[in-house]
Amino acid sequence: MPIRVNALSKHFRLFKREAGLSGAFRSFFNRKYEDFHALREISLDIEDGEILGILGENGAGKTTLIKLLVGLLHPSSGQVDINSFTPWNRKTAFLKQISVVMGQKNQLWWDIPASESFLLNQKIYEIEKTEYDRRLKELVELLAVEKKLNVQVRRLSLGERMKMEIIAALLHNPKIVLLDEPTIGLDVVSQSKIREFVKYYNQQYGTTFLITSHYMHDIEALCKRVFVIHAGKSLYDGNFKELINRVNPRRKLQFEFSEIPNSGMLDSLGNEFEFELKDTFLRAELPDSDLTRLVTQLFKLSSPASITLEDLPVEDTMRSFFANPEQFLQ
Amino acid sequence: MKGWIEKYLSVVRMTWIQTLEYKANTIVGAFAIFSGLAIEFLIWKQVFQAQGATEIRGFTFNGLIAYIFLCMIVGQLKSSWATSIEMIESIRTGELNKYLIRPVSFFTYHFMMFVGHNSLFYIVYTTILILFPIMLPGFAFMTNLHVGGFIMALLLSIYLSYAIYYCMVCFAFWFGEVRSLVIAYNISNIVLSGQIIPLRLFPDTARDIIYLTPLQYLVDFPVSIATNQLPMELWLPKMAVSFAWCVAMTLAGAVIYRAGIRVYGGFGA
Repeated sequence: MPIRVNALSKHFRLFKREAGLSGAFRSFFNRKYEDFHALREISLDIEDGEILGILGENGAGKTTLIKLLVGLLHPSSGQVDINSFTPWNRKTAFLKQISVVMGQKNQLWWDIPASESFLLNQKIYEIEKTEYDRRLKELVELLAVEKKLNVQVRRLSLGERMKMEIIAALLHNPKIVLLDEPTIGLDVVSQSKIREFVKYYNQQYGTTFLITSHYMHDIEALCKRVFVIHAGKSLYDGNFKELINRVNPRRKLQFEFSEIPNSGMLDSLGNEFEFELKDTFLRAELPDSDLTRLVTQLFKLSSPASITLEDLPVEDTMRSFFANPEQFLQ
Repeated sequence: MKGWIEKYLSVVRMTWIQTLEYKANTIVGAFAIFSGLAIEFLIWKQVFQAQGATEIRGFTFNGLIAYIFLCMIVGQLKSSWATSIEMIESIRTGELNKYLIRPVSFFTYHFMMFVGHNSLFYIVYTTILILFPIMLPGFAFMTNLHVGGFIMALLLSIYLSYAIYYCMVCFAFWFGEVRSLVIAYNISNIVLSGQIIPLRLFPDTARDIIYLTPLQYLVDFPVSIATNQLPMELWLPKMAVSFAWCVAMTLAGAVIYRAGIRVYGGFGA
């Protein structure tokens, strides 16, 4: 089910008031409204089986885009075509092919075990009994929650609850799954299990995933392609690694000398490259081309006791990107 | 059609499971109506004793008690205000999203939840209704025809009441907070539908105005059939009008919902 988004815009009418009791009184008699443009002219094509990361700061428009794609909202203008369906018409055939997991919202019945909510979903999506049993067994085993199936949802840990939410969302074998902050608040082990699961599921079933997350490790592990929204506008659509390189093309080098070269040689290197020398270790953060030249020179000076080369942490890179995204993409 | 029925019956099943999770709450809820019945009994006993009357506007004491007990039971069975408050909350907080992304109808899903929650009352109240002809012989359910007529009118009343609440719920799409509207309607509807005082005891003008609204079909109509206060030749025409109100309110709800969903912001979720 390819997704075609064309010039999609959404604005909300929000009411504003000053803080405090007097502001509340004034607004009671004279309410002031203003238009908030959540999305402006967004265009996007997503092919079958892709995992697309939707990135942006809080309030950038990511969740609004997801809500429009699944038909929760009507747009102010523009079109969305998902396999000839218009999402906000909410046709049953369309709803049976999509699913949404919102990390901060619970879709399961809170006071009863998740297994009951799964049975309800079986009836709602009209899943044939043997197919339902097979899929439930597979999903439960993959996410390792066999022992938690009959525990009240409100008594589950956050990670277990998220796994149950994912099972509920996948039981009807949707073609498109939208995950909005699926790992929010989870510990690193649970985060990594969810990532592994999404990766496996995408490869196994060719399901299209659209993921929003503030954890860049989620995006790095799952998404080749990202779509960046800033202030409701499309800012970047392309390869995630290319984006990282554009934002911060530097890498980290740590070179351990087996024998410290004489200071004169190092001084002349210092005129050409920026690095830090401590004991027998030389550390530098440089673009790839400079790093290659530096390493070549270092080998000429001394043989290394050890050498490591690593990317800068992606979280740090993206933090500096979101501080001023337009600057990096000019 | 089979799938549709199974889908919504499974919602009823879920509400039963949920209700049974909390034993104490379930037991108290099921028998809560007895406190109301006792209060009504004591009030009307005082009224008859103070007036030294054997009849008030054609009602004997036992006849009035039978009428009022039935009114309270019908009133309780058709009252979906708690479900309505939940629905308003779901629009206000964005919880509605979880219904919109699934192939279910917001209207039918909640109607079945309401039926599910109330089914527990149905069991207790049916027992009371079965005991009625024994406890107060000659005042209600004189023939099987009266039982059948009452059940038909009661089903229409339950549906009509829900459809009216649903129209109000849908205004939450524009105003966000409409719980006060539902509560105001709920309070006035308890009085104006004849749930506390029979409509026959109302001043003529007030009664004539109420007869122009669907309110008389919520409580007074089914109870009048059960207590033989309504001539049989009027049963079918009145049921037809009650049915027409059901259709009108369902259509009105659908129109308001369709307009409302276009401005829905899905905030908070």
